[in-house]
Amino acid sequence: MKRWPRSQKMMLGLVMIAVLVLPSALFAAEDIKIGVLFPLTGGAASAGRELRAGAELALEIANNPMPDINMTMAKNSGVKSMGGAKITLIFKDHEGNPTLGADLAKKLILDDKVHGLMGAYHSSVTKAVSAVAEQYGIPLINDSSTSPELTRQGYKWFWRTTPHDVYFTRDLFEFLKGMTEGKVKGLPAVPKKDIMNLASACEKTEWGSAVSELIEKFSKDYGFEVKKSILYAAKATDLSSEVRSLTAVKPDAMLFASYGSDSILMMKTLKDQKAAPRILWGQNAGFEVPEFVSTLGETTVGALTRTVFIPKIAQVKPVAAKINAMYKAKTGNDLSGASARSFTGLQAWVHVLEKAGSVKPADIQKAANSIEIPGDELVVPWQGIKFATSGEDIGQNTLGMGLIGQYQKAADGKIDLEIVYPFNVATANMIYPFPKF
Amino acid sequence: MDILLGSLMSGLLLGMVLALVALGLTIIFGLMDIVNFAHGEFLMIGMYTGLLTAQATGLDPLLTLPLAAGIGFLLGILCYGGFVKFLLRGPMIAQLLGTFGLMLVLRNIALMLFGSEDRALLHGLLVGKSFDIGMGIIISATKLAVAVLAVLSFAGVWLLMNRTKLGKALTATALNRQGARYMGIPTERMNALAWGIGSATVTVAGALIANFWSVNPYVGLTFTMIAFTVVALGGFGSVPGAFFAGLVVGLIMEIPGFWDFFAITFNIGWMAHVPMTSFKYMWIYVAYFVIMLVRPRGLFGWKQ
Repeated sequence: MKRWPRSQKMMLGLVMIAVLVLPSALFAAEDIKIGVLFPLTGGAASAGRELRAGAELALEIANNPMPDINMTMAKNSGVKSMGGAKITLIFKDHEGNPTLGADLAKKLILDDKVHGLMGAYHSSVTKAVSAVAEQYGIPLINDSSTSPELTRQGYKWFWRTTPHDVYFTRDLFEFLKGMTEGKVKGLPAVPKKDIMNLASACEKTEWGSAVSELIEKFSKDYGFEVKKSILYAAKATDLSSEVRSLTAVKPDAMLFASYGSDSILMMKTLKDQKAAPRILWGQNAGFEVPEFVSTLGETTVGALTRTVFIPKIAQVKPVAAKINAMYKAKTGNDLSGASARSFTGLQAWVHVLEKAGSVKPADIQKAANSIEIPGDELVVPWQGIKFATSGEDIGQNTLGMGLIGQYQKAADGKIDLEIVYPFNVATANMIYPFPKF
Repeated sequence: MDILLGSLMSGLLLGMVLALVALGLTIIFGLMDIVNFAHGEFLMIGMYTGLLTAQATGLDPLLTLPLAAGIGFLLGILCYGGFVKFLLRGPMIAQLLGTFGLMLVLRNIALMLFGSEDRALLHGLLVGKSFDIGMGIIISATKLAVAVLAVLSFAGVWLLMNRTKLGKALTATALNRQGARYMGIPTERMNALAWGIGSATVTVAGALIANFWSVNPYVGLTFTMIAFTVVALGGFGSVPGAFFAGLVVGLIMEIPGFWDFFAITFNIGWMAHVPMTSFKYMWIYVAYFVIMLVRPRGLFGWKQ
C-alpha cells in the first residue's frame, strides 16, 4: 500500500482541526429571517418603494463591514453576537389592505418561519399584523405607522421606533403657537386671530381618523378652533365636495392627513376651487412622497408637512449626510420620512438581535425592552431609541421627535423641503401666508 | 346660497364626467349585453395615452384625443376579436371571469410598463384652470370640457342607435343574436363594432380627464364600479337613461355639500358634526339599491 507523504498528512490534519476547532458559530450561523410588510403596490406604492429601498440599504450596511460609517451595525459583518449571522429580509406586499396584511404575516410566520417582523406603514395594516404577531409570539418592530392606538394595545411583542401622531400633532400646535410668539425664522409674530380658525380633512382609516381626533384635542388645549373636520375615502375619484366643505368655513389653516394619490387630488381640487388658506399643512405620508412635488410642481410651494427626515438635516448630522449620499446613489432620490424611518427600523432590529444573541423570541423580547441606541448613530434627528416598558405607550420609542418642513423653491428652480420647526434648526425663512393657488 | 349653487353645479358637471365614463359601458353592457369588468382599465389606457403622448411630443393634451380614440377603437376590436368572442360561447359566468381577468392583465401590464407611481400633466390648455363665475360657482376647465364632450357623445350615440340602420342592426344583435343572424345581420361584426365604439368613447374620456386627474395603474376600478351603477341605474339599454343616471350619481356625490348648506344656512350645530363626506359613496349604492327595489329595470330601461 502506498503511504501518504508526511506533508499531505499534515495538510489533512490541519483541515480536520480547522473543521473541528474553528468557531462552531461560523457554521452554525444560520440566516436570520425578518419578514417585512410594505404597500408595494396600490395607492401608497410610491411610499412602499421608498420604505423598501431604505430597509435594503440598512440591510446592506448591517451585513457588510463598512468601517467608515459611524454606526455600530456598520462595524460588523452580520450580527456579531450570533457569529456573524447574516440577516435576510423577506418582503411582502399588503397593498394597504389589513386583511391581506394579516394573512401575509401568518404566512411569513408559519411558512417562511421568520424570526421577526417589520412594517407595515398603514396603521390599519400594522394593527392587524400586530394582532397576528401577538398571537404567535413573534416580535414586530414597527418603523413607520403613527396611529397612537398601536402602542396602547398593551401588546408584548410590539415595538415602535417612529414617534406617533400625538408627538407630531403637538409639534404642529407648538409651531402655530410659536408663530404667534414670533419664534419662526424670518417671520414677525402673527396675530393669533389670523390663524385661529382651522379645518381638517383626513383619510378615514385608522391613521387619518386618529389624526383628526388629535387635531380636535390639541386645538382645544392650545386655544384654536376647528371649524370643520371631515373624513374622506383615500380612494375617492373626486374630492370637490370635500374641498367645498372645507372652504365654506373660510379656514385660516387647512390641515390634512392623506396617503398618496389622494394628496395630489386634494391639492389639485384646492387649486381648482381657489382655496385661500394662510397655512396649509400635511401630516407627512402623501405630502412627502416624491410624486407630490413631481406631479404638482410649483403648486406645492409654501405647503408645510411634518416629517422625520429632511435632506437638509445632513447639514447638522454627518451620519445622515453619509447615508443620504448612499441612498441617493442607489435610488436617485434623497432619503424621505418614509425611507429614513424604514432604515432606522431595520437598524433597531440589528441592535436588538445583537443584544439578544439568539433568535429565540423570548431573548429578542428581553433585548428589545432594554436596548438604547444613541441619537448620533441615527439618520433621523432623534435623541435615540429606547422603548417604553411601562406606562400608557408600551413599546413606544420615547426618544423620537418630528420636524416640520416647508416646500420652497431654490435659486436653481428645484423645489425642496426646508426645516421650519424645531425653530432652533430652521434652515430657511418661512413663507407666510401660503401663496394663493 | 353659495354652497348650494356651487354644489349643484359641481354635481352636474361631475355627473356628466361620470356619464361620459359610463357611455362606453352603456354600449357594451347596457346595449349589447356583454359584461365588461375591464371598462375602467380602458379608461386608464386612455389616460396614459393622453398623458404620455402630450409629454413626449409637447403637444397640448387636447390634441391627443383623436389618437386616444383610435387606440381605444383598435383595442376594443382587438379585445373582442381575440378574446371576448370566445367568451360569448360559454355561459354568462365566462364573461364575468373572463373580463375580470382582462382587467387584471391590463392593469398589470400598465404596472410593468409605467410603474405604480402617480403621473399628472403639468402643462396644457385646460390644466389647472378654473373659472369663478360668482355666487360660489367655480367651474373647472377640464370638467367643463368633459361635460361638453359628454353631451355631444351621448347625442351622437343616441342618433346612431335610433336614426341609423347600423343602430337598428346593433339593437337587433343585442336583443336576439340568433334572430338577427337569420335576418342577415353580421352579428359578430356588430359586436366588434360595439366594442370598438364603446372603448373609443372611454379612452377619449380618459385622455380628457387626464387633464385634471392624475393617473396610476389602479385608477380604473373605482370608475368601473361607478360606471356599472350608472348603467344599471339608468336602465339597461337606455342611452338617455345613462346620461340622466350620471347626473343623478354626480348630484348624490355632492350630498355633503347640500348637507353643509342646510347646516350653515339654518345654523344647525349637530349637522355640522355629522361626517357626511365619510359616507359619500354609500349614498350612490343606497340610491341604486332603492331603485332596484322599486324599479328593477332601472330608470329608463326597456329590457325585461
